[in-house]
Amino acid sequence: MKKISLIITIICISTLLFGAYFYPDIRPGYGVTETGWLSDYFEPLRGTNLDTPLYIMEGEEEGATFLLMGGTHAREIGASMSAVTFIENAVVKVGRVIVIPFTNRSAASVNDTSTDQERLIRIDSKSGPRFIVYGDRRTDPVDQGEADPEVFVHYPSGMELEEGAEARNLNRNYPGKADGNGTQQLAYAIIQLIKQENVDFNLDMHESDTPRVVKMADGTDYYGGRLAYMLVCHTRGLEMGAFTVMMMEDNGIPMKLEESNVDYRGLSHREIGDNTDCISFLSESPNPGQDRNPEQKDVITDPEFPIEHRVGMHLNLINDLCETWNMFSDKQIMIENLPTHDELMENGLGNYLN
Amino acid sequence: MKKSVLFLLVALFALVAFAAEEVTVEEPVLITSGGQSPGALQMMVLAKGAKIDYVFEKNVTADYETLGDFNTIIIVAGASSKGLGAAGIDIDTEIERLTALVAAAKEKGLKIVLAQIEGATRRGSSSDLVIDVLIDSCDLMLIKEDADNDGKFTALSEEHNIKMLTFSKTSDARGLLTELFGH
Repeated sequence: MKKISLIITIICISTLLFGAYFYPDIRPGYGVTETGWLSDYFEPLRGTNLDTPLYIMEGEEEGATFLLMGGTHAREIGASMSAVTFIENAVVKVGRVIVIPFTNRSAASVNDTSTDQERLIRIDSKSGPRFIVYGDRRTDPVDQGEADPEVFVHYPSGMELEEGAEARNLNRNYPGKADGNGTQQLAYAIIQLIKQENVDFNLDMHESDTPRVVKMADGTDYYGGRLAYMLVCHTRGLEMGAFTVMMMEDNGIPMKLEESNVDYRGLSHREIGDNTDCISFLSESPNPGQDRNPEQKDVITDPEFPIEHRVGMHLNLINDLCETWNMFSDKQIMIENLPTHDELMENGLGNYLN
Repeated sequence: MKKSVLFLLVALFALVAFAAEEVTVEEPVLITSGGQSPGALQMMVLAKGAKIDYVFEKNVTADYETLGDFNTIIIVAGASSKGLGAAGIDIDTEIERLTALVAAAKEKGLKIVLAQIEGATRRGSSSDLVIDVLIDSCDLMLIKEDADNDGKFTALSEEHNIKMLTFSKTSDARGLLTELFGH
Protein backbone atom coordinates (compact mmCIF):
# COMPACT_ATOMS: atom_id res chain seq x y z
CA MET A 1 0.00 0.00 0.00
CA LYS A 2 2.84 2.31 0.93
CA LYS A 3 4.54 1.47 -2.38
CA ILE A 4 1.41 2.38 -4.39
CA SER A 5 1.10 5.70 -2.55
CA LEU A 6 4.75 6.39 -3.26
CA ILE A 7 4.32 5.64 -7.00
CA ILE A 8 1.22 7.86 -7.20
CA THR A 9 3.08 10.65 -5.40
CA ILE A 10 6.02 10.35 -7.80
CA ILE A 11 3.68 10.46 -10.83
CA CYS A 12 1.90 13.53 -9.45
CA ILE A 13 5.15 15.35 -8.71
CA SER A 14 6.55 14.43 -12.18
CA THR A 15 3.40 15.76 -13.86
CA LEU A 16 3.64 19.00 -11.93
CA LEU A 17 7.32 19.40 -12.71
CA PHE A 18 7.39 18.24 -16.31
CA GLY A 19 3.84 18.78 -17.59
CA ALA A 20 1.25 16.22 -18.62
CA TYR A 21 2.28 13.73 -21.28
CA PHE A 22 0.28 13.06 -24.40
CA TYR A 23 1.24 10.78 -27.27
CA PRO A 24 -1.26 11.04 -30.11
CA ASP A 25 -3.03 7.92 -31.35
CA ILE A 26 -2.45 8.01 -35.07
CA ARG A 27 -2.59 4.93 -37.27
CA PRO A 28 -1.02 5.86 -40.61
CA GLY A 29 -2.45 4.56 -43.87
CA TYR A 30 -0.62 3.53 -47.04
CA GLY A 31 0.13 7.13 -47.98
CA VAL A 32 2.64 7.79 -45.20
CA THR A 33 6.16 7.28 -46.53
CA GLU A 34 8.18 8.60 -43.58
CA THR A 35 7.63 9.83 -40.05
CA GLY A 36 9.65 12.32 -38.05
CA TRP A 37 9.55 14.86 -35.26
CA LEU A 38 9.46 18.60 -35.28
CA SER A 39 12.69 18.52 -33.28
CA ASP A 40 14.40 17.15 -36.42
CA TYR A 41 14.32 20.81 -37.51
CA PHE A 42 15.06 22.44 -34.15
CA GLU A 43 16.91 20.21 -31.72
CA PRO A 44 16.08 22.04 -28.45
CA LEU A 45 12.49 20.74 -28.68
CA ARG A 46 13.63 17.12 -28.43
CA GLY A 47 12.43 15.41 -25.28
CA THR A 48 9.96 18.17 -24.41
CA ASN A 49 6.15 18.10 -24.56
CA LEU A 50 6.38 20.67 -27.34
CA ASP A 51 8.05 18.26 -29.73
CA THR A 52 5.43 16.71 -31.97
CA PRO A 53 5.29 13.90 -34.54
CA LEU A 54 4.98 14.68 -38.22
CA TYR A 55 4.05 12.52 -41.17
CA ILE A 56 5.57 12.80 -44.61
CA MET A 57 3.52 11.59 -47.56
CA GLU A 58 5.58 11.58 -50.72
CA GLY A 59 4.21 10.96 -54.19
CA GLU A 60 5.76 8.86 -56.94
CA GLU A 61 6.45 12.03 -58.92
CA GLU A 62 8.19 15.17 -57.67
CA GLY A 63 6.09 18.27 -57.29
CA ALA A 64 4.99 20.89 -54.78
CA THR A 65 5.34 20.56 -51.00
CA PHE A 66 2.25 21.27 -48.92
CA LEU A 67 2.28 21.55 -45.12
CA LEU A 68 -0.98 20.64 -43.36
CA MET A 69 -1.35 21.61 -39.72
CA GLY A 70 -4.01 20.57 -37.21
CA GLY A 71 -4.12 21.05 -33.47
CA THR A 72 -2.54 24.49 -33.28
CA HIS A 73 -5.36 25.02 -30.78
CA ALA A 74 -5.92 21.59 -29.29
CA ARG A 75 -9.62 22.10 -28.47
CA GLU A 76 -10.34 22.63 -32.17
CA ILE A 77 -10.88 18.95 -32.81
CA GLY A 78 -12.35 19.39 -36.29
CA ALA A 79 -8.87 20.54 -37.30
CA SER A 80 -6.81 17.85 -35.58
CA MET A 81 -9.18 15.10 -36.72
CA SER A 82 -8.99 16.37 -40.30
CA ALA A 83 -5.22 15.95 -40.14
CA VAL A 84 -5.57 12.48 -38.58
CA THR A 85 -8.10 11.44 -41.24
CA PHE A 86 -5.75 12.73 -43.93
CA ILE A 87 -2.83 10.67 -42.55
CA GLU A 88 -4.92 7.52 -42.25
CA ASN A 89 -6.51 7.70 -45.72
CA ALA A 90 -4.85 9.97 -48.27
CA VAL A 91 -2.30 8.81 -50.81
CA VAL A 92 -0.15 11.45 -52.47
CA LYS A 93 0.55 10.68 -56.12
CA VAL A 94 2.42 13.83 -57.14
CA GLY A 95 4.32 16.17 -54.83
CA ARG A 96 4.65 15.86 -51.09
CA VAL A 97 2.47 16.58 -48.07
CA ILE A 98 3.87 17.03 -44.57
CA VAL A 99 1.21 16.70 -41.87
CA ILE A 100 1.49 17.84 -38.26
CA PRO A 101 -1.76 16.63 -36.66
CA PHE A 102 -1.13 17.99 -33.15
CA THR A 103 0.94 21.07 -33.79
CA ASN A 104 0.84 22.13 -30.15
CA ARG A 105 1.13 18.74 -28.44
CA SER A 106 1.54 20.38 -25.05
CA ALA A 107 -1.89 22.04 -25.42
CA ALA A 108 -3.38 18.61 -26.24
CA SER A 109 -1.99 17.19 -23.01
CA VAL A 110 -4.26 19.29 -20.75
CA ASN A 111 -7.99 19.96 -20.40
CA ASP A 112 -9.66 22.90 -22.13
CA THR A 113 -9.43 25.65 -19.54
CA SER A 114 -12.37 27.63 -20.92
CA THR A 115 -15.02 24.88 -20.69
CA ASP A 116 -15.71 21.69 -18.82
CA GLN A 117 -15.53 19.52 -21.93
CA GLU A 118 -14.27 16.03 -21.26
CA ARG A 119 -10.76 15.60 -22.64
CA LEU A 120 -11.07 12.14 -24.18
CA ILE A 121 -14.16 11.62 -26.33
CA ARG A 122 -14.87 8.10 -27.53
CA ILE A 123 -15.46 7.44 -31.22
CA ASP A 124 -15.97 4.02 -32.79
CA SER A 125 -13.45 3.41 -35.55
CA LYS A 126 -12.90 0.51 -37.93
CA SER A 127 -10.73 -1.12 -35.24
CA GLY A 128 -13.03 -0.41 -32.31
CA PRO A 129 -13.07 2.46 -29.83
CA ARG A 130 -10.67 5.37 -30.18
CA PHE A 131 -10.51 8.71 -28.43
CA ILE A 132 -10.65 12.22 -29.80
CA VAL A 133 -8.51 14.50 -27.65
CA TYR A 134 -10.13 17.78 -26.61
CA GLY A 135 -7.23 19.86 -25.28
CA ASP A 136 -6.65 23.50 -24.50
CA ARG A 137 -6.14 26.50 -26.74
CA ARG A 138 -2.74 27.21 -25.26
CA THR A 139 0.48 25.53 -24.23
CA ASP A 140 0.44 23.86 -20.80
CA PRO A 141 1.95 26.52 -18.44
CA VAL A 142 4.38 23.87 -17.18
CA ASP A 143 5.88 23.50 -20.67
CA GLN A 144 6.22 27.24 -21.21
CA GLY A 145 9.27 27.56 -18.97
CA GLU A 146 8.18 30.93 -17.60
CA ALA A 147 5.14 32.54 -16.01
CA ASP A 148 2.64 34.41 -18.17
CA PRO A 149 3.46 38.10 -18.46
CA GLU A 150 0.87 40.72 -17.49
CA VAL A 151 0.75 41.93 -21.07
CA PHE A 152 1.69 39.77 -24.04
CA VAL A 153 4.33 41.38 -26.23
CA HIS A 154 4.83 39.75 -29.63
CA TYR A 155 8.37 39.04 -30.70
CA PRO A 156 9.81 40.65 -32.77
CA SER A 157 7.17 43.28 -33.67
CA GLY A 158 6.48 44.50 -30.12
CA MET A 159 2.71 44.37 -30.72
CA GLU A 160 0.92 44.12 -27.37
CA LEU A 161 -2.16 42.16 -26.34
CA GLU A 162 -3.88 42.75 -23.01
CA GLU A 163 -4.14 39.08 -22.09
CA GLY A 164 -0.74 37.86 -20.91
CA ALA A 165 -1.73 34.20 -21.36
CA GLU A 166 -1.58 34.75 -25.12
CA ALA A 167 2.15 34.22 -24.65
CA ARG A 168 1.17 30.52 -24.66
CA ASN A 169 -0.97 30.78 -27.80
CA LEU A 170 1.05 29.33 -30.68
CA ASN A 171 -0.95 31.33 -33.20
CA ARG A 172 0.19 34.61 -31.70
CA ASN A 173 3.86 33.73 -31.57
CA TYR A 174 5.09 33.29 -35.15
CA PRO A 175 7.81 33.61 -36.38
CA GLY A 176 9.01 32.52 -32.96
CA LYS A 177 12.32 32.85 -31.22
CA ALA A 178 15.14 30.29 -30.98
CA ASP A 179 16.04 31.15 -27.39
CA GLY A 180 12.53 32.16 -26.33
CA ASN A 181 9.92 30.50 -24.13
CA GLY A 182 8.36 27.14 -25.04
CA THR A 183 5.68 28.49 -27.38
CA GLN A 184 8.10 30.84 -29.13
CA GLN A 185 10.47 27.92 -29.70
CA LEU A 186 7.61 25.83 -31.09
CA ALA A 187 6.73 28.58 -33.59
CA TYR A 188 10.41 28.95 -34.47
CA ALA A 189 10.70 25.19 -35.10
CA ILE A 190 7.75 25.28 -37.54
CA ILE A 191 9.36 28.13 -39.45
CA GLN A 192 12.62 26.09 -39.63
CA LEU A 193 10.71 23.09 -41.00
CA ILE A 194 9.07 25.26 -43.67
CA LYS A 195 12.42 26.72 -44.70
CA GLN A 196 14.38 23.47 -44.67
CA GLU A 197 11.73 21.49 -46.55
CA ASN A 198 11.04 24.33 -49.02
CA VAL A 199 7.31 24.20 -48.29
CA ASP A 200 5.38 25.89 -51.11
CA PHE A 201 2.07 26.43 -49.34
CA ASN A 202 0.47 25.53 -46.03
CA LEU A 203 -2.94 25.31 -44.40
CA ASP A 204 -3.27 25.86 -40.64
CA MET A 205 -6.68 24.38 -39.76
CA HIS A 206 -8.73 25.88 -36.94
CA GLU A 207 -12.22 26.03 -35.45
CA SER A 208 -14.30 28.92 -34.15
CA ASP A 209 -17.70 29.35 -32.54
CA THR A 210 -20.75 28.53 -34.66
CA PRO A 211 -22.94 30.95 -36.62
CA ARG A 212 -25.78 30.75 -34.10
CA VAL A 213 -27.46 33.28 -31.87
CA VAL A 214 -26.43 32.31 -28.36
CA LYS A 215 -28.34 33.31 -25.24
CA MET A 216 -25.81 34.59 -22.73
CA ALA A 217 -26.03 34.17 -18.93
CA ASP A 218 -27.17 37.81 -18.60
CA GLY A 219 -30.03 37.20 -21.05
CA THR A 220 -28.49 39.04 -23.99
CA ASP A 221 -28.10 37.55 -27.46
CA TYR A 222 -24.66 36.94 -28.88
CA TYR A 223 -24.34 36.52 -32.65
CA GLY A 224 -21.58 33.98 -33.14
CA GLY A 225 -19.69 32.60 -36.07
CA ARG A 226 -17.87 35.65 -37.39
CA LEU A 227 -14.88 33.46 -38.19
CA ALA A 228 -16.64 30.22 -39.08
CA TYR A 229 -16.30 29.04 -42.70
CA MET A 230 -13.50 31.51 -43.28
CA LEU A 231 -10.38 31.08 -45.37
CA VAL A 232 -7.74 33.63 -44.41
CA CYS A 233 -5.01 34.13 -46.98
CA HIS A 234 -1.64 35.75 -46.86
CA THR A 235 -1.53 38.58 -49.39
CA ARG A 236 0.46 36.40 -51.81
CA GLY A 237 -2.26 33.76 -51.63
CA LEU A 238 -5.33 35.94 -52.13
CA GLU A 239 -5.88 35.08 -55.77
CA MET A 240 -5.55 31.39 -54.97
CA GLY A 241 -7.96 31.90 -52.08
CA ALA A 242 -10.47 33.63 -54.35
CA PHE A 243 -10.48 30.61 -56.67
CA THR A 244 -10.66 28.16 -53.82
CA VAL A 245 -13.69 29.67 -52.07
CA MET A 246 -15.57 29.70 -55.36
CA MET A 247 -14.79 26.00 -55.82
CA MET A 248 -15.94 25.34 -52.26
CA GLU A 249 -19.22 27.13 -52.93
CA ASP A 250 -19.71 25.19 -56.16
CA ASN A 251 -19.28 22.02 -54.14
CA GLY A 252 -21.87 23.05 -51.58
CA ILE A 253 -19.86 24.63 -48.74
CA PRO A 254 -19.65 28.43 -49.14
CA MET A 255 -16.72 30.01 -47.37
CA LYS A 256 -15.72 33.59 -46.65
CA LEU A 257 -12.47 34.93 -48.01
CA GLU A 258 -10.35 37.23 -45.87
CA GLU A 259 -6.97 38.82 -46.37
CA SER A 260 -4.47 38.41 -43.56
CA ASN A 261 -4.24 41.61 -41.53
CA VAL A 262 -0.83 43.24 -41.90
CA ASP A 263 -1.04 44.98 -38.52
CA TYR A 264 -2.02 42.01 -36.34
CA ARG A 265 1.20 40.15 -35.77
CA GLY A 266 2.08 36.62 -34.77
CA LEU A 267 -0.58 34.74 -36.74
CA SER A 268 0.50 31.87 -38.98
CA HIS A 269 -1.21 33.26 -42.11
CA ARG A 270 0.71 36.51 -41.73
CA GLU A 271 4.11 35.51 -40.36
CA ILE A 272 4.72 32.29 -42.32
CA GLY A 273 4.00 34.20 -45.52
CA ASP A 274 6.16 37.14 -44.46
CA ASN A 275 9.11 35.15 -43.11
CA THR A 276 9.35 32.30 -45.63
CA ASP A 277 8.62 31.64 -49.30
CA CYS A 278 5.59 29.56 -48.29
CA ILE A 279 2.12 30.91 -49.17
CA SER A 280 0.10 30.62 -46.00
CA PHE A 281 -3.60 29.94 -45.44
CA LEU A 282 -5.77 29.42 -42.35
CA SER A 283 -9.23 27.87 -42.25
CA GLU A 284 -12.01 27.85 -39.65
CA SER A 285 -14.83 25.34 -39.20
CA PRO A 286 -17.66 25.84 -36.64
CA ASN A 287 -17.23 23.99 -33.33
CA PRO A 288 -20.26 24.08 -30.96
CA GLY A 289 -17.83 23.65 -28.05
CA GLN A 290 -16.56 27.16 -28.68
CA ASP A 291 -19.96 28.86 -28.50
CA ARG A 292 -20.08 31.48 -25.79
CA ASN A 293 -22.78 30.14 -23.53
CA PRO A 294 -21.20 28.22 -20.70
CA GLU A 295 -22.82 24.78 -20.60
CA GLN A 296 -21.20 21.68 -22.11
CA LYS A 297 -21.94 21.23 -25.79
CA ASP A 298 -22.12 18.21 -28.04
CA VAL A 299 -18.91 18.63 -29.98
CA ILE A 300 -19.33 15.36 -31.93
CA THR A 301 -22.96 14.84 -32.94
CA ASP A 302 -24.41 18.37 -32.87
CA PRO A 303 -27.21 18.17 -35.49
CA GLU A 304 -26.07 21.28 -37.35
CA PHE A 305 -22.31 21.05 -36.95
CA PRO A 306 -21.33 17.41 -36.40
CA ILE A 307 -17.67 16.41 -36.49
CA GLU A 308 -18.20 14.83 -39.94
CA HIS A 309 -19.33 18.17 -41.37
CA ARG A 310 -16.33 19.99 -39.92
CA VAL A 311 -13.76 17.40 -40.97
CA GLY A 312 -15.48 17.17 -44.37
CA MET A 313 -15.27 20.93 -44.80
CA HIS A 314 -11.53 20.87 -44.17
CA LEU A 315 -10.88 17.86 -46.40
CA ASN A 316 -12.86 19.42 -49.25
CA LEU A 317 -10.90 22.62 -48.71
CA ILE A 318 -7.57 20.76 -48.86
CA ASN A 319 -8.65 19.17 -52.11
CA ASP A 320 -9.80 22.47 -53.64
CA LEU A 321 -6.74 24.36 -52.41
CA CYS A 322 -4.47 21.78 -54.04
CA GLU A 323 -6.46 21.92 -57.27
CA THR A 324 -6.16 25.70 -57.24
CA TRP A 325 -2.43 25.43 -56.56
CA ASN A 326 -2.11 23.31 -59.69
CA MET A 327 -3.73 26.09 -61.73
CA PHE A 328 -1.17 28.60 -60.47
CA SER A 329 2.04 26.59 -60.38
CA ASP A 330 4.15 24.31 -62.55
CA LYS A 331 5.01 22.27 -59.46
CA GLN A 332 1.97 20.04 -59.16
CA ILE A 333 0.37 18.20 -56.28
CA MET A 334 -2.08 15.33 -56.56
CA ILE A 335 -3.80 13.56 -53.68
CA GLU A 336 -6.04 10.50 -53.90
CA ASN A 337 -8.29 8.58 -51.54
CA LEU A 338 -9.26 11.59 -49.45
CA PRO A 339 -12.82 11.17 -48.11
CA THR A 340 -15.20 13.91 -49.24
CA HIS A 341 -17.60 15.88 -47.07
CA ASP A 342 -20.55 13.93 -48.45
CA GLU A 343 -18.88 10.58 -47.84
CA LEU A 344 -18.08 11.52 -44.25
CA MET A 345 -21.65 12.70 -43.65
CA GLU A 346 -23.00 9.46 -45.08
CA ASN A 347 -20.61 6.96 -43.50
CA GLY A 348 -19.45 8.67 -40.31
CA LEU A 349 -15.94 9.71 -39.31
CA GLY A 350 -15.24 6.43 -37.55
CA ASN A 351 -15.39 4.58 -40.86
CA TYR A 352 -12.34 6.53 -42.01
CA LEU A 353 -10.26 5.95 -38.88
CA ASN A 354 -8.05 2.84 -38.76
CA MET B 1 -63.43 40.55 -70.83
CA LYS B 2 -62.90 44.20 -71.74
CA LYS B 3 -61.89 44.87 -68.16
CA SER B 4 -59.27 42.12 -68.28
CA VAL B 5 -57.80 43.45 -71.52
CA LEU B 6 -57.70 46.95 -70.07
CA PHE B 7 -56.00 45.67 -66.92
CA LEU B 8 -53.40 43.82 -68.98
CA LEU B 9 -52.72 46.92 -71.10
CA VAL B 10 -52.27 49.06 -67.99
CA ALA B 11 -49.97 46.46 -66.45
CA LEU B 12 -47.94 46.24 -69.68
CA PHE B 13 -47.67 50.05 -69.83
CA ALA B 14 -46.48 50.15 -66.21
CA LEU B 15 -43.91 47.47 -66.92
CA VAL B 16 -42.53 49.37 -69.90
CA ALA B 17 -42.62 52.74 -68.12
CA PHE B 18 -40.86 51.57 -65.00
CA ALA B 19 -38.58 48.87 -66.37
CA ALA B 20 -34.95 49.55 -65.63
CA GLU B 21 -32.94 50.95 -68.48
CA GLU B 22 -31.04 48.55 -70.68
CA VAL B 23 -27.33 49.17 -70.35
CA THR B 24 -24.56 48.21 -72.68
CA VAL B 25 -21.15 47.82 -71.14
CA GLU B 26 -17.91 47.59 -73.07
CA GLU B 27 -14.28 46.73 -72.51
CA PRO B 28 -11.71 47.67 -71.40
CA VAL B 29 -12.85 47.33 -67.79
CA LEU B 30 -11.34 48.76 -64.64
CA ILE B 31 -12.06 46.63 -61.54
CA THR B 32 -11.73 48.18 -58.12
CA SER B 33 -12.87 47.66 -54.56
CA GLY B 34 -15.54 49.54 -52.68
CA GLY B 35 -14.69 48.82 -49.05
CA GLN B 36 -11.48 46.78 -49.43
CA SER B 37 -13.01 43.32 -49.02
CA PRO B 38 -11.46 40.48 -51.05
CA GLY B 39 -14.55 40.52 -53.30
CA ALA B 40 -12.77 42.78 -55.78
CA LEU B 41 -10.08 40.15 -56.17
CA GLN B 42 -12.73 37.50 -56.71
CA MET B 43 -14.20 39.72 -59.44
CA MET B 44 -10.75 39.93 -61.01
CA VAL B 45 -10.54 36.13 -61.00
CA LEU B 46 -14.01 35.94 -62.59
CA ALA B 47 -13.08 38.53 -65.23
CA LYS B 48 -9.96 36.59 -66.05
CA GLY B 49 -12.06 33.44 -66.42
CA ALA B 50 -14.51 35.31 -68.67
CA LYS B 51 -11.55 36.48 -70.80
CA ILE B 52 -12.44 40.13 -70.34
CA ASP B 53 -9.96 42.89 -71.12
CA TYR B 54 -9.55 44.27 -67.61
CA VAL B 55 -7.19 46.04 -65.23
CA PHE B 56 -7.42 45.39 -61.49
CA GLU B 57 -6.56 48.33 -59.23
CA LYS B 58 -7.86 47.79 -55.73
CA ASN B 59 -7.38 51.37 -54.57
CA VAL B 60 -7.75 53.37 -57.76
CA THR B 61 -8.34 57.08 -57.19
CA ALA B 62 -10.12 59.81 -59.15
CA ASP B 63 -6.83 61.10 -60.55
CA TYR B 64 -5.86 57.70 -61.97
CA GLU B 65 -3.91 58.64 -65.07
CA THR B 66 -5.60 56.31 -67.55
CA LEU B 67 -9.12 56.38 -66.10
CA GLY B 68 -10.43 57.85 -69.35
CA ASP B 69 -9.09 54.91 -71.36
CA PHE B 70 -11.65 52.55 -69.84
CA ASN B 71 -15.24 52.14 -70.95
CA THR B 72 -16.51 50.48 -67.79
CA ILE B 73 -15.61 50.47 -64.13
CA ILE B 74 -16.77 47.63 -61.87
CA ILE B 75 -16.80 48.57 -58.20
CA VAL B 76 -17.14 45.58 -55.92
CA ALA B 77 -18.94 46.68 -52.77
CA GLY B 78 -17.98 45.06 -49.50
CA ALA B 79 -16.42 46.59 -46.41
CA SER B 80 -13.75 44.65 -44.59
CA SER B 81 -12.05 45.96 -41.47
CA LYS B 82 -9.04 43.74 -42.24
CA GLY B 83 -8.88 45.07 -45.80
CA LEU B 84 -9.28 48.67 -44.70
CA GLY B 85 -6.60 48.10 -42.08
CA ALA B 86 -4.29 46.54 -44.66
CA ALA B 87 -4.77 49.61 -46.87
CA GLY B 88 -4.11 51.86 -43.88
CA ILE B 89 -7.43 53.68 -44.18
CA ASP B 90 -10.79 53.84 -42.42
CA ILE B 91 -14.28 53.62 -43.92
CA ASP B 92 -14.63 57.43 -44.09
CA THR B 93 -11.47 57.74 -46.20
CA GLU B 94 -12.74 54.91 -48.40
CA ILE B 95 -16.07 56.67 -48.90
CA GLU B 96 -14.22 59.88 -49.86
CA ARG B 97 -12.15 57.95 -52.43
CA LEU B 98 -15.23 56.30 -53.92
CA THR B 99 -17.23 59.52 -54.08
CA ALA B 100 -14.46 61.25 -56.00
CA LEU B 101 -13.83 58.18 -58.16
CA VAL B 102 -17.40 57.76 -59.39
CA ALA B 103 -17.64 61.50 -60.07
CA ALA B 104 -14.49 61.35 -62.21
CA ALA B 105 -15.62 58.14 -63.93
CA LYS B 106 -18.99 59.69 -64.76
CA GLU B 107 -17.32 62.79 -66.14
CA LYS B 108 -15.10 60.68 -68.39
CA GLY B 109 -18.10 58.73 -69.67
CA LEU B 110 -17.41 55.35 -68.07
CA LYS B 111 -20.31 53.01 -67.35
CA ILE B 112 -20.37 52.27 -63.64
CA VAL B 113 -21.24 48.76 -62.48
CA LEU B 114 -21.92 48.14 -58.80
CA ALA B 115 -21.22 44.53 -57.89
CA GLN B 116 -21.88 42.61 -54.68
CA ILE B 117 -20.47 39.13 -55.14
CA GLU B 118 -19.78 38.00 -51.57
CA GLY B 119 -23.40 37.57 -50.54
CA ALA B 120 -25.14 37.98 -47.20
CA THR B 121 -21.96 37.55 -45.17
CA ARG B 122 -20.61 40.79 -46.64
CA ARG B 123 -23.58 42.93 -45.67
CA GLY B 124 -23.47 45.27 -42.72
CA SER B 125 -23.54 48.95 -41.88
CA SER B 126 -20.17 49.80 -43.47
CA SER B 127 -20.89 47.79 -46.63
CA ASP B 128 -24.32 49.44 -46.88
CA LEU B 129 -22.67 52.84 -46.58
CA VAL B 130 -20.57 52.03 -49.63
CA ILE B 131 -23.63 50.86 -51.56
CA ASP B 132 -25.56 54.00 -50.68
CA VAL B 133 -22.72 56.21 -51.88
CA LEU B 134 -22.40 54.40 -55.22
CA ILE B 135 -26.02 53.87 -56.09
CA ASP B 136 -26.70 57.35 -57.46
CA SER B 137 -23.97 57.05 -60.07
CA CYS B 138 -24.27 53.45 -61.09
CA ASP B 139 -25.65 52.17 -64.39
CA LEU B 140 -25.95 48.49 -63.63
CA MET B 141 -25.92 46.20 -60.60
CA LEU B 142 -24.54 42.65 -60.40
CA ILE B 143 -25.82 41.19 -57.14
CA LYS B 144 -25.43 37.81 -55.51
CA GLU B 145 -28.93 36.64 -54.60
CA ASP B 146 -28.45 36.17 -50.87
CA ALA B 147 -27.00 39.67 -50.55
CA ASP B 148 -30.53 40.82 -51.35
CA ASN B 149 -32.22 38.72 -48.65
CA ASP B 150 -33.58 41.89 -47.06
CA GLY B 151 -34.66 43.32 -50.41
CA LYS B 152 -32.31 46.30 -50.25
CA PHE B 153 -30.93 45.88 -53.76
CA THR B 154 -34.35 45.21 -55.27
CA ALA B 155 -35.63 48.39 -53.65
CA LEU B 156 -32.64 50.40 -54.89
CA SER B 157 -33.04 48.98 -58.39
CA GLU B 158 -36.67 50.07 -58.50
CA GLU B 159 -36.14 53.40 -56.81
CA HIS B 160 -33.22 54.44 -59.02
CA ASN B 161 -34.41 52.65 -62.17
CA ILE B 162 -31.19 50.65 -62.40
CA LYS B 163 -31.04 47.25 -64.01
CA MET B 164 -30.08 44.52 -61.56
CA LEU B 165 -28.72 41.15 -62.64
CA THR B 166 -28.58 38.46 -59.99
CA PHE B 167 -26.76 35.17 -59.63
CA SER B 168 -26.89 32.38 -57.10
CA LYS B 169 -23.25 31.34 -56.66
CA THR B 170 -20.25 33.61 -56.96
CA SER B 171 -18.83 31.52 -59.78
CA ASP B 172 -22.08 32.06 -61.74
CA ALA B 173 -21.10 35.71 -62.12
CA ARG B 174 -18.50 34.61 -64.66
CA GLY B 175 -21.28 33.57 -67.06
CA LEU B 176 -22.98 36.92 -66.53
CA LEU B 177 -19.78 38.78 -67.36
CA THR B 178 -19.32 36.66 -70.48
CA GLU B 179 -22.83 37.58 -71.64
CA LEU B 180 -22.54 41.24 -70.70
CA PHE B 181 -19.32 41.76 -72.58
CA GLY B 182 -20.38 39.65 -75.54
CA HIS B 183 -17.79 36.89 -75.36
